[in-house]
Amino acid sequence: MVKFTSDELRRIMDYKHNIRNMSVIAHVDHGKSTLTDSLVAAAGIIAQEAAGDVRMTDTRADEAERGITIKSTGISLYYEMTDASLGSYKGERNGNEYLINLIDSPGHVDFSSEVTAALRITDGALVVVDCVEGVCVQTETVLRQALGERIRPVLTVNKMDRCFLELQVDGEEAYQTFQRVIENANVIMATYEDPLLGDVQVYPEKGTVAFSAGLHGWAFTLTNFAKMYASKFGVDQSKMMERLWGENFFDPSTKKWTTKNTGSPTCKRGFVQFCYEPIKQIINTCMNDQKDKLWPMLQKLGVTMKSDEKELMGKALMKRVMQTWLPASTALLEMMIYHLPSPATAQRYRVENLYEGPLDDAYANAIRNCDPEGPLMLYVSKMIPASDKGRFFAFGRVFAGKVSTGLKVRIMGPNYIPGQKKDLYVKSVQRTVIWMGKRQETVEDVPCGNTVAMVGLDQFITKNATLTNEKEVDAHPIKAMKFSVSPVVRVAVQCKVASDLPKLVEGLKRLAKSDPMVLCSIEESGEHIVAGAGELHLEICLKDLQDDFMGGAEIIKSDPVVSFRETVLERSSRTVMSKSPNKHNRLYMEARPLEDGLAEAIDDGRIGPRDDPKNRSKILAEEFGWDKELAKKIWAFGPETTGPNMVVDMCKGVQYLNEIKDSVVAGFQWASKEGPLAEENMRGICFEVCDVVLHTDAIHRGGGQVIPTARRVIYASHITAKPRLLEPVYMVEIQAPEQALGGIYSVLNQKRGHVFEEMQRPGTPLYNIKAYLPVVESFGFSSTLRAATSGQAFPQCVFDHWDMMSSDPLEAGSQAANLVADIRKRKGLKEQMTPLSEFEDRL
Amino acid sequence: MELESNYEIRRVADFIRSNYFTRVALQFPDELLKDSMRVVKALRQELSSSVKLYVMADTTYGSCCVDEVGAAHVNAECVIHYGHTCLSPTSRLPALFIFGKASISTSNCARNVLSHGLKSGKPVLVLFGLEYAHAIPDIREELARNASSLSGSTSMVEYFYADVSCSVVNPSETSKPANQLGLVDSEVVNGCLTEETSQNYSMGGLSWRLPKGRNMEEYLLFWIGMDNPAFANLALTFNSCEIVRYDATEDSLMTDVSQQTKILKRRYYLVQKAKDANMVGILVGTLGVAGYLHIIHQMRELVTKAGKKSYTFVMGRPNPAKLANFPECDVFINVSCAQTALLDSKEFFAPVITPFEAMLAFERGSQWTGAYVLEFPELISSTPSVVREESEEARFSFLQGGYVEDLDLRDNEEVEKDGMSALVNATEKALQVRDEDSQSLTKSIPKSGAEYLARRSYQGLDIKESNSLPQKFLSGRSGKASGYKHEKRNGN
Repeated sequence: MVKFTSDELRRIMDYKHNIRNMSVIAHVDHGKSTLTDSLVAAAGIIAQEAAGDVRMTDTRADEAERGITIKSTGISLYYEMTDASLGSYKGERNGNEYLINLIDSPGHVDFSSEVTAALRITDGALVVVDCVEGVCVQTETVLRQALGERIRPVLTVNKMDRCFLELQVDGEEAYQTFQRVIENANVIMATYEDPLLGDVQVYPEKGTVAFSAGLHGWAFTLTNFAKMYASKFGVDQSKMMERLWGENFFDPSTKKWTTKNTGSPTCKRGFVQFCYEPIKQIINTCMNDQKDKLWPMLQKLGVTMKSDEKELMGKALMKRVMQTWLPASTALLEMMIYHLPSPATAQRYRVENLYEGPLDDAYANAIRNCDPEGPLMLYVSKMIPASDKGRFFAFGRVFAGKVSTGLKVRIMGPNYIPGQKKDLYVKSVQRTVIWMGKRQETVEDVPCGNTVAMVGLDQFITKNATLTNEKEVDAHPIKAMKFSVSPVVRVAVQCKVASDLPKLVEGLKRLAKSDPMVLCSIEESGEHIVAGAGELHLEICLKDLQDDFMGGAEIIKSDPVVSFRETVLERSSRTVMSKSPNKHNRLYMEARPLEDGLAEAIDDGRIGPRDDPKNRSKILAEEFGWDKELAKKIWAFGPETTGPNMVVDMCKGVQYLNEIKDSVVAGFQWASKEGPLAEENMRGICFEVCDVVLHTDAIHRGGGQVIPTARRVIYASHITAKPRLLEPVYMVEIQAPEQALGGIYSVLNQKRGHVFEEMQRPGTPLYNIKAYLPVVESFGFSSTLRAATSGQAFPQCVFDHWDMMSSDPLEAGSQAANLVADIRKRKGLKEQMTPLSEFEDRL
Repeated sequence: MELESNYEIRRVADFIRSNYFTRVALQFPDELLKDSMRVVKALRQELSSSVKLYVMADTTYGSCCVDEVGAAHVNAECVIHYGHTCLSPTSRLPALFIFGKASISTSNCARNVLSHGLKSGKPVLVLFGLEYAHAIPDIREELARNASSLSGSTSMVEYFYADVSCSVVNPSETSKPANQLGLVDSEVVNGCLTEETSQNYSMGGLSWRLPKGRNMEEYLLFWIGMDNPAFANLALTFNSCEIVRYDATEDSLMTDVSQQTKILKRRYYLVQKAKDANMVGILVGTLGVAGYLHIIHQMRELVTKAGKKSYTFVMGRPNPAKLANFPECDVFINVSCAQTALLDSKEFFAPVITPFEAMLAFERGSQWTGAYVLEFPELISSTPSVVREESEEARFSFLQGGYVEDLDLRDNEEVEKDGMSALVNATEKALQVRDEDSQSLTKSIPKSGAEYLARRSYQGLDIKESNSLPQKFLSGRSGKASGYKHEKRNGN
């Protein structure tokens, strides 16, 4: 029973004030997909009755099976507001019809890259919080991400039904719980003061907080009740709303409002009196099948039921009644339409976050004004597998201009640099498609402000890209997305039958496309590597690889492998020297650890090779205590010219030094990529060139002599500076009841983890535990934990930092030494580390 | 007399006499050089005084190939090559190969062949290092005797033996123009390797014949000899076969060849890496092996077609220090005889790959299915005669985990048309780029040598030195590079 057609949708797409792009974000299992279902129900794609059971947006079999969302899915919804409810809407609008482009995103932290991709193409976010569990780690992460992207949030306190049916708490207690949830969310939001975005905190009395029961398909905002009571009390609707929240009490016996509880037994908080209790009453009446009482009550509320629905009993009856009385879609969609920005509004301030180029050029202006007549600016945020195997839809958002079937577009990949030809293609869009749940509808064109899927570009886009018109050669790309997780867990894959190699290659290519985060690469040893954010993420990726992208050809996967980093603990014990192959040139060098926090600053891009040298030396001098002169003598960052290691020139008055700079830098890039311990990347090391002796003839001090020497001297200085391994560490957040704590602690201890925060959630028996856990130990962690706590604890792991392993890898038999030997063996290197004498020369 | 038999003095003398050669070059590898004078003396006694003998040593490239250029210096008419050889066909001079005779216990060897053949149940193909060629008839005989004594109890295990193709290489057969050679050979080789009708195989001087309808995979390869490049090539080429190696010097059997599959994987990685290269250096690693010019041209064409820049280097045997003098090259293609082509690139600043690997890397749409080709004739023939249809898809790089397209191909063709001005343009472009971000520490990826130079912080002597006055005379260092005089004092 489709209530609307693609033509209808297409028509509203032109009304840029009547569009809302929004994503649904939350912690895992807080009910995003279920809630989304109720919204989709309103747009009429699935039957109202089934809402809550179908999980419309979980389109994959494994999603349905596991009951978690893995991929984010977009749906376009159509909603018509009544004149009455739009009465007080101040913003620009164009009729009463609205188009809502909704993206349901996964809640599990392993898939938070999907959330990032979803947020980029939306302007508003519906934050779903479980009223019992409250704000969890993932809620916080995604909320921060949303605000970082200048996404305006609204909140819904979900799973209200648990309050009524499961916990049966009384009104005041429920109010306190809700209040706390909202407060916690506001604390996070308050840290994002942004003059352009305005106040982003949410207030029930302003209608930016909804209360919902996704499973039962009902929800309300205070607006609903205020409307109902405003006429009864003869007060203004907004006034009424304020009374329904906070310290406002009403005593029916005196019919008086007070700002604190008078102590009289009939005096109750406004919210409890007028919202909570009536709902509770209805639910109880339904559950007890007191139909004789129910019908008059419903009549009073103006709810009419169909005759066949009157036959329902118990829970089914309750569900139906509540859905009719307080339909989730009305409450939530109206809240979004009312309080979330339209593309026209949002792009005005988001352009700064989005556009990489100058903010006053034609493209920035077109984005700012959401100009359908302007040049095309489209950001492809992810690739979605199409039904014909191996092909993908490019899914994204049109920020300016129009994209149409057959249009020739300029595809700017993530490595595109304006003015160059790298990572740039010109191709035509074969088809433009919009998404309606499980169905796709082809449309002629899609104007700015909307999400769109395109056919025919998948052979040129890996994960994301910026599209513009063919002729717009001056356009800069839209900024790349920043992910909150990184692919730290890796497995090597190979095919069982050697001749399947082309299949594997093709499959990996597709896998790389299908997920915003997964990394398909190749090791020095020739093994194909798939890297993901966590164990679950990898599991899903490998399953996809084998089943969907390789046509079922069998693969063998190795045990998960974690990459380490090599660093130093102290300054080199002495200045080391290496001679060039011809013995005529000598390099003297020392290694020392970078200052605390400097490596992270380089990671974050606060300090990097592209900075203005003046700025860079200012930061280095002020924050890290560097000598200002020295800060100007940084030769390079590495590996890959941007990594968290440096080579610095400390020489004084050396002739020809400038000549060998390039060669030393080349040697440094090489060495910092493959450290001396186990050929892992280096991290947090500063190499100081102390002195050089060079042959007077240029021919004898060329790259051939200096590059290998620079590499050797870097290794030598590394080995003499107490080398150490760094291992990646997860931050784990676990929420569990008190009786599970013992199990959690023992599992963590066993896995070398340590707890750094334990907090009881106020008003709940639940504890929140934060701990650090080495990534190496995390394999099988969640299942061990589940077993040890009889399924009561569910961990969320996210990469946090690199931690130095205290043992000395040079000391035979130490833990680090064994680890180094293992890595070397896996990489097919000699098990014994190359000794210092191979790298260091003496006079 | 050991010298007589080991160096086959009589046979060499007969060869020289029968062909009426008067100037003969004797090529020795380093390890046999110590015997050279005795060999010359022995030959002198056999030959008339009109024949001039020259000893050649320290060859520019691999000592397994005939050093034709060296021989040409003395206007030699033929080359007698001693020691280990790759038996690559020569392009100008006739050559006689003396493999030498390494000692081997034929009975032990035969026993090993037999027992292993029984264990695997597969037909056995016996291959060997050329230094053991002399012992093969004996082993064969021994094996037949042993097998017949056992034949009552066992099922028939078939044995096949490789033959030494020929120890005399005559350039007259192969000295046709290179491209013609390619065509002639291609028919033969195509017949060998791809079609089932004819079953001739040859490799590193060995050739063998299999019955119709049989694949190499069905055979157990039994290698008699050392773990040398010849064996490595065999293991790479027939990487899907079961291979065992009998080491005659240690009288032991090696069944574990996992090291070889590791090498294959490593080569695969290098191919992937080469795909990302912008500038390619072609190393001329031989001046003797027939068809080398053709391969070099082919490589150059291939690289250009792939939208990359190629530079050709002649530098004798490559080593890390030599190659690092050209840091602008992202990858080197080593065009040399099959047995010196594989260089372990760990120590090299840029990977060194073989022409076959280059073909895999630079030809669009080509995929590695496991086959591996090292010899020139097969390589030449494996080039597709028709231009493959350009694949529509952008190139996916596994090193970067995404689509990359280094150059606009069409654009590059235009550049190629007007050669010299292209360089100027490229330089100009590079200079502009540099000006823009001369402040920063990173620069765009260069696509030609000129751009690379422009990117360097040091570009040679600065002529525009403002101070034109003569500089004051300074005394420099004195002493040796291992420690100058003033340093010695400091050190002690």
